[in-house]
Amino acid sequence: MTRFDPYGDPSLPVRLALAALLLVGAAATAGAFVADPESAAPSPVAYDDVVELGLSSETDALMAGSATIPRTQVFYSQLQYVVGYNGVESFAATFDDDRTERQFGYPVVAYVETFDDARPGTTETGLFAAELAGEWTPAPEAAYVVGSDARSPAGETVVPFRERDAAEAFAADHGGRVVGWEAVRGGSFDTDSAAAVRGMAPERWAAADDRVAAAERRADRPVSVVVGEDAPTVEAALAAAPANTTVVVPPGTYEETLTVNESVTIAGDDARVSGDGNGSVITVRARDVAITGVDIDGSGNQTRDPEAAREGRDRDDGAWDTNIQLGYGHGDAGIRAIDAPGLFVDDVTIEANASGLLLREGSRAVVRDLRVDGTDEWQDGFMGVTGMGSRVTVTDSAFSGGRDGIYLHRADGSVVRNSAFADNRYGVHLMYTGDALIADNAFRDELFGGVTVMTRPSGNAIVGNDVRDSGAGIQASGTRAYIGYNTLVGNELGFSTSSRGSLYERNVAANNELGARATTVVPSSRIVENDFVANADHAAAGAGALRVWADGDRGNYWEGANVGTHEPGERAYRPTSPVDGALHREVAVVAVRESPAVALLDRLRGTVPGARSGSIIDPAPATEPYSPERVAAALDPDAGPVRADWRPRFGGGDDDGNADTMTTRARNATSGVADA
Amino acid sequence: MSGRLSGVATVFRRELATVVRTPGYGVLAVGLLVALGGLLAAGGGGATGFVPAVVDLLLPTEALVPLVAVVLGYRALLTDAASGELAVIRTYPVRVGEYVTGVLLARTVALVAVVGVPYAAIGVVVWLTAAPDTGIFATHAGVDSPLLYVRFLAFVLLLGAAYVSLAAAVSALAASRRSAIALGSLALVAGVLGGDLVLLRSLAAGASPTTVPSAIALAPNGAFRGLVFEHVIGVAFAPEGGFVSTVRAVGSLVGWTLLGAVVAGATLAWGRRVDAAIERVRREIGS
Repeated sequence: MTRFDPYGDPSLPVRLALAALLLVGAAATAGAFVADPESAAPSPVAYDDVVELGLSSETDALMAGSATIPRTQVFYSQLQYVVGYNGVESFAATFDDDRTERQFGYPVVAYVETFDDARPGTTETGLFAAELAGEWTPAPEAAYVVGSDARSPAGETVVPFRERDAAEAFAADHGGRVVGWEAVRGGSFDTDSAAAVRGMAPERWAAADDRVAAAERRADRPVSVVVGEDAPTVEAALAAAPANTTVVVPPGTYEETLTVNESVTIAGDDARVSGDGNGSVITVRARDVAITGVDIDGSGNQTRDPEAAREGRDRDDGAWDTNIQLGYGHGDAGIRAIDAPGLFVDDVTIEANASGLLLREGSRAVVRDLRVDGTDEWQDGFMGVTGMGSRVTVTDSAFSGGRDGIYLHRADGSVVRNSAFADNRYGVHLMYTGDALIADNAFRDELFGGVTVMTRPSGNAIVGNDVRDSGAGIQASGTRAYIGYNTLVGNELGFSTSSRGSLYERNVAANNELGARATTVVPSSRIVENDFVANADHAAAGAGALRVWADGDRGNYWEGANVGTHEPGERAYRPTSPVDGALHREVAVVAVRESPAVALLDRLRGTVPGARSGSIIDPAPATEPYSPERVAAALDPDAGPVRADWRPRFGGGDDDGNADTMTTRARNATSGVADA
Repeated sequence: MSGRLSGVATVFRRELATVVRTPGYGVLAVGLLVALGGLLAAGGGGATGFVPAVVDLLLPTEALVPLVAVVLGYRALLTDAASGELAVIRTYPVRVGEYVTGVLLARTVALVAVVGVPYAAIGVVVWLTAAPDTGIFATHAGVDSPLLYVRFLAFVLLLGAAYVSLAAAVSALAASRRSAIALGSLALVAGVLGGDLVLLRSLAAGASPTTVPSAIALAPNGAFRGLVFEHVIGVAFAPEGGFVSTVRAVGSLVGWTLLGAVVAGATLAWGRRVDAAIERVRREIGS
C-alpha cells in the first residue's frame, strides 16, 4: 500500500481509476435526472396476490352462483402493494375522492379485466356473469359498456372489453353504451357506500320492529287444545291441534321430545319441556310456528354432525360451504327448526347442552325474550342461536355460556338488538352474513370477543353496542361496514379496523389494553370522531401503509394528544409512536416531543403515507371527546352498560344517508357548537 | 499543463494534503454517519424506501450539511494568511484566483468525502434493507427508485458546496481564528434561518405568494428544499410540481458558490490595500 502523496504525479492506473470514478459519478447524476422513475410500468400480477378493495367478492349472491365482478388492479406511485378493486366503478370512484391520491399517490398503471373471450352475460337475477376468466388490459386501452342491464350486488356495474367490437356486441345484447376510459373515470355510479349503510341502520331497526309485530300477530291464534284437559301430553295435543290454533301448556314439567308439523302456537305458562338427553327437544318442521312461555332443557349434547358433513362432501352438490352448513346445522338443540320460515320464539328459556335454538334451511325466525344458558366451558357446548341460511331477528334476549351467543351463517339481513351476552366464546359471530344490524347489545366477559364478523360480507352495521372485559370488542371484516357509537371498555382489544371501505365513527375505546388495531394492509376506511381514553395503548398497526385516521379536519379524540404547551389540536398525533403513544401516561414525554430532533422528523412524516409502513397518524386530533357522556360512563366502574343515543341522530331512517349533513348534526348534538 | 492550471493543481494538492492530515474531518464524517443512521432508525422511513427516507432526512440535512460545510471551510483561507504562508506563496507565480480556486476545489473534494460518503452509505443501507412490511401480497416499487436518492445526494452536495464557498469567504474576511468561528457561525445561522425569515417577513409585509417560487430559490436552503420537493419527493405525487423554479434554484446554489469564491478572492487580492486605506483614513482622522 503506497502512502498518499499529493505532490507526486499519480500513476496511470490511479489516474484512470480517478477519471473513471468521476465519469461514473457524473453519468449517474446526469442519469438520475434524465431517467423517469415511473417509466417501467409493472406487468399485471395474479389477482389472488393483490390487496382487495371495492366491492366484496364474498357476498352470498356471488359465491352461490356464477356471478362475477369485473376487476381492476392498480399500481400506485407511493404504495408498495398492488391494489385490486372489485368493480371498475369502485376504482373510478376513487378519482372523486382526493383521499386516495393523498394516501397512495397517483396510479402509475391500472389494468382492467376484459371479457372479450370470456362469454359474458348475466345471471337470472341480473348480476354480471362470465363463463371464463377475463384478461388484463391497460385501463386506458379498454372499451367499457355502461348502463347495461348487468349489475353488481351493490348496483350499477361497468363491463370492460379489450376490443370495441366485443363491447358493441355486449351492448347490443344487454343494452347500455360503449365509452372510453376517460368517460368511466369521470363518471359517477349508483353504488352503495359505508355512509349509506349508516343511513340504513334505523331502517333495519324499524324493519325488526315490523317483523316482531308481524310475528306477534301471527302467534295470536284461537285456543284449540289445552294439555292436561283435552290431551294427556304435549305431543298428543300437537297431534290433535288443527293448523292456525293455539296449544296451551299449563304449569308443570313435561318430559317429552316434540316435533311440530303444523303451523300452531305453543303457549306455555310456566311450563317446562324436558328432553331425554338425546337429540333436540322441540323440532319445528312447519312454517309460522310460535313457541312462547316455555322452559326447555334436556337436549342431547352433540354439537355437530360429522356424518352429515361427510355425506355433503361426497354428494358434491357444488355449494361452497356445504361442510360448515351441514356440520354446524345438524347438532342437537333446545328448539330446532328445519325449513320452517316464520318461527316466533318469545319468552323462552333454554338450558342448552349444545345449541339453544338451531335454524336451518331458510327458517327465518323472530326471537324475543329468549334466555339461553349454555355450558360452562365453551368447548362442551354450542351456540345460543345457530342460524344457517336463516335470517334471524333477535331482540331483548340474553345468552350466557356456551360457544357463541349467536352464530349466523349466510343469514343476510339479520338483526340482533337490545340483548345481553356473557361468558361466551364470541357474543355475536357472523359468517358470510351481510346487511345485518347488530345494535344496542351488551357483552360481558366474552372469551374471544363481543362481535366478530368473519369472511368478507358487505354492508353490516354494528351500532351502539357495549362490550366490556372481553378478549376483543369488535372485530368485523368485510366491506362497506358501519361501526359506530359502540362503547368498548376494559377489553384486551377495543376494535380492529379489519373491514375495508368502511366507516368507524363515534366509538369510545376506554381502559382497554389496546384501543384499536389497524389491520388491513392497504387503508381504505374512515376512522373519525372516535374517543380513545385511558387505554394502555390507544392504537397499534399491523403491516401495511401509513394510516391517516381523519377525514379532512375531523380526527379522533386521543387522551394525551393535547398534553403540553402547544395549542390543542394543532399538532398531528401518532398513537403508534413511542413518544406520542406515551403522552397520556407520562407527562414528561412532552419535553421529548418538543425536542428539535422529534420535531424535525415528525414535521414531514405524513408526506408520502403510502410509502411508509406500520403506523397511524391523526393530523387533526380533537380537543374534546366527541361523546363525553359515554366516556364518563365508561370510566365509572359502577355504571352499567352504556346506551348510545344514535337513532335520533341518524334522522330516524327517513333520510338518504348523506354523510356530511348527518355528521354535522351529530356533532352539534354533542357539543352544541355549530359549524362556522 | 498550462501555467495557470498547474498553479491551481499545486495549490489543490497542497490543500488536499492539509485536509488528509486533519484527522478531525474523518471524525466529522463518522459523526455525520452516526447522526444520519440515528435519524433513519428513529424516523423509520428508510425501512420501506428511498422517498420516505429522504422525507425523514430532509429537514435535519438542512442544518447538518451547512454545519459540516462551514466546519470544512471556515479556516480554509485564514490559516495561510495568519501564518504568513500566503505571503510566501504569493512570491511564487501563483495568482490569487488560482490560489482560491485550488483551495476551494480541495475543500469541495473534502466535502464530497465527508458529506457524500455518509449519505451514500445511508443510501446503500436503504437499498439493501428497504422492503415492504409483508410479503404475502404482490408488491412493486411505485416510483421509488435509487435514482431519486442520487438526485437527493446531488442536491445535498450542491448545498454543501455553496456553504463551503461561503465559509471560505468568511475565512478570508476574518482576522483571527476566533473571529472566523464567530463569522462562520453567523453565516451558518444566516444561511439556515435567514433566507426563510426574510421570505416570511416579506410575505407578512404583503408580498404576493406568487413570488414564492422564485423568492424561495434565492436563499441556499430554500433552493435546496424546493429542489428536493420538486425532483425527489414530488415525483410520488401526480405530476404537477411547481414547488420551485428549478433553473433559479440551481442557479442560486451555483451563484452562492461563485459569490463565496469571488468574495474570498477579492478579499485576499485587495484586502491589504483596503486595510491600508482604512488605516490611512483612521490616521488622518486621528491626527
